[in-house]
Amino acid sequence: MNPVSRGVRNAFRNGVRTLSIIIILGLSIGLCLTMLVANKAVSSKIASVKSSIGTTITISPAGFNPGAAANNALTASQLDKVKSLPHVTKLTETVSDRLSTTGSSQPSFGMGRSSGSGATTSLTSPVKLNLNGQGGAGGGRIFVNGGNASLPSNFSLPITFLGTNDPDSLNGSSVSLSSGKAISGSADTNEALISAAMASKNNLKVGSTFTAYDKSLTVAGIFKSSNQGDEDTVILSLAAEQRLSGQSGSVTSAIATVDSLDNLSSATGAIKSTLDSNADVVSSEEQADNTVKPLNSVKTVSFFSLIGAVVAGGVIILLSMVMIVRERKREIGVVKAIGGSNLRIMAEFMVEALTLTVIGAVIGLLIGVIAGQPVTNTLVDNSTTSTSTTGGQPGAGGFGGGAQMGERVSNGDQGASRPGGGFGGRLRNTGAVRGIRNIDAQIGWGILLDGFGAAVLIAVVGSALAAGMISKVRPSETLRSV
Amino acid sequence: MLEVKNLVKTFNSGDGAVTATDDISFEVPDGQFASIVGRSGSGKSTLLSLLGGLDKPTSGQIMVGGRDLAGFSDHELIGYRGRTIGFVFQNYNLVPNLSALENVMLPMEFARVAKAERKERAKHLLGQVGLADDQMQRRPARLSGGQQQRVAIARALANHPKLILADEPTGNLDSETGKMIFDLLHDLSRSENTTIIVVTHDSEIAGKTDRTFRLKDGKLAKKT
Repeated sequence: MNPVSRGVRNAFRNGVRTLSIIIILGLSIGLCLTMLVANKAVSSKIASVKSSIGTTITISPAGFNPGAAANNALTASQLDKVKSLPHVTKLTETVSDRLSTTGSSQPSFGMGRSSGSGATTSLTSPVKLNLNGQGGAGGGRIFVNGGNASLPSNFSLPITFLGTNDPDSLNGSSVSLSSGKAISGSADTNEALISAAMASKNNLKVGSTFTAYDKSLTVAGIFKSSNQGDEDTVILSLAAEQRLSGQSGSVTSAIATVDSLDNLSSATGAIKSTLDSNADVVSSEEQADNTVKPLNSVKTVSFFSLIGAVVAGGVIILLSMVMIVRERKREIGVVKAIGGSNLRIMAEFMVEALTLTVIGAVIGLLIGVIAGQPVTNTLVDNSTTSTSTTGGQPGAGGFGGGAQMGERVSNGDQGASRPGGGFGGRLRNTGAVRGIRNIDAQIGWGILLDGFGAAVLIAVVGSALAAGMISKVRPSETLRSV
Repeated sequence: MLEVKNLVKTFNSGDGAVTATDDISFEVPDGQFASIVGRSGSGKSTLLSLLGGLDKPTSGQIMVGGRDLAGFSDHELIGYRGRTIGFVFQNYNLVPNLSALENVMLPMEFARVAKAERKERAKHLLGQVGLADDQMQRRPARLSGGQQQRVAIARALANHPKLILADEPTGNLDSETGKMIFDLLHDLSRSENTTIIVVTHDSEIAGKTDRTFRLKDGKLAKKT
């Protein structure tokens, strides 16, 4: 028998006490691992969001309100100045409008109007609105008739008509056509691109026609949409939408693309200083920061909980070992009297502490495996819900989705600013929140090793005071206490 | 030869310094069986602690094999306690979660004796003190007081010590078992040529040893 086997055997000398210590330690280490899992998962998500940020800068007219009847617009001279700035490689200009379906009823809202120009279209939106609670997505609240969530039976969501000088991309993603042909961003023709869902809903195919602004428009191509927010969007050329909506020369949103991430910050500063107070300028980096803000709070909470759990585990084992050493003081004196050195006795107690901790760690690991994902989800859900609630405001017009600009755009929705506000914003906000909520919190080998490292640290730290007490036990006490 | 010269040990207590052993000097030749007697508080256990290297004297010398214990480093004292000394305590002080055999093997492990050898010697010693094979595997709680004290004596003998210090080894035993234990120690001192110093209250036991030292108020009152 050696100090290791004696230490292991000593760990089970008192069954009830051993069980109690192991259970408490297991809970502590379980909490520690759960927080470690949450912390790593959230850190990884933050890194992933930040690494995927584009090199774009969104420019909106100052004080732009998607739901307002009238908004300032960006002027051609302002946009020309932006185009000429160093590192700006491309400027996508957009103007948009929200049209209600001909013959559909719109609920009345506390303020504002239900669509941008008041024009109608023959198209029906393929997007259905779930009014039950949060719709599973946690977006902003929808205010219908002073809080009554019932809608007219022939209600259809307004449809976004987006005029752009770059019809090859939508909301920062390239448009992928499933049939038909692309349209020119500069040509003023009544040709449009619609989503596959829109085509299916309205029985349209390439070459079919539909009406909008009391004009006939032809489906030039059908694109595949990557998110629900794009399904109700009709893409036209910038000039065509300006003409049809009566917004000639107006640009309500622009996206500047910068040559590299390194120059994003300086280009953002240059645009801000060029446009001064005439425009709101937000870079994709700032948008990403806004998006991960709730995750950062989860990261902080999980980090401090992790530290707290490690300290609690250390204190538990420390007090247990102090109690055990006090109880075995005489035995320690006897062992010293028959030739045992301090080091050997300390090693024995350290192995005992380690045995208790490792068994506690195994229980803690099981708790971590079971609780890691649900606890992470709960933390992230609570954090993002609270951010959405505080950040979201019902729009003045349309359905006023409760989304912050940053949240909308960081989800790749760089063309989110639309006159008329409405569901588009809400849906995009929902997507952004859903995106950061979708966190994979699993225990991997790295976390396992970290967990066992923490367990060993707890055992060593926890038995340090006990070791000090052991070294002070005088063997002569064994004789005196007889 | 064990030589004690002008040994003084004082303790600080609330009432000032207390002299537990006061200028004690004596000699015990190798292989002798000696006893120390005296009333409670006379300094017997303190003297035993000093002889066993469990405590350090305030002044004076304890010469063992020509070397003064006062000059030993802590490391040397551990070696001295493990190899040169064997302790037998009044209440046996066996490690409760080790078997009788493992208790006897323990000091040999500290002295780095090979595992097979220490097991063999432990069995031999336990046999010598009269413990049956099945009793060797029992834990102390399942042995009688007399059997536990036999195990303690076997443990004290494990590393072939030159000196066995026994602190009232028969104090917790009935007279018959106490006599058996005393006879065992006596026989061992003869067969192993081991010096044995026993602290006792029992004048009958003290009368049977080769030499007796009587302590009174920390001083050596009488040598016989």
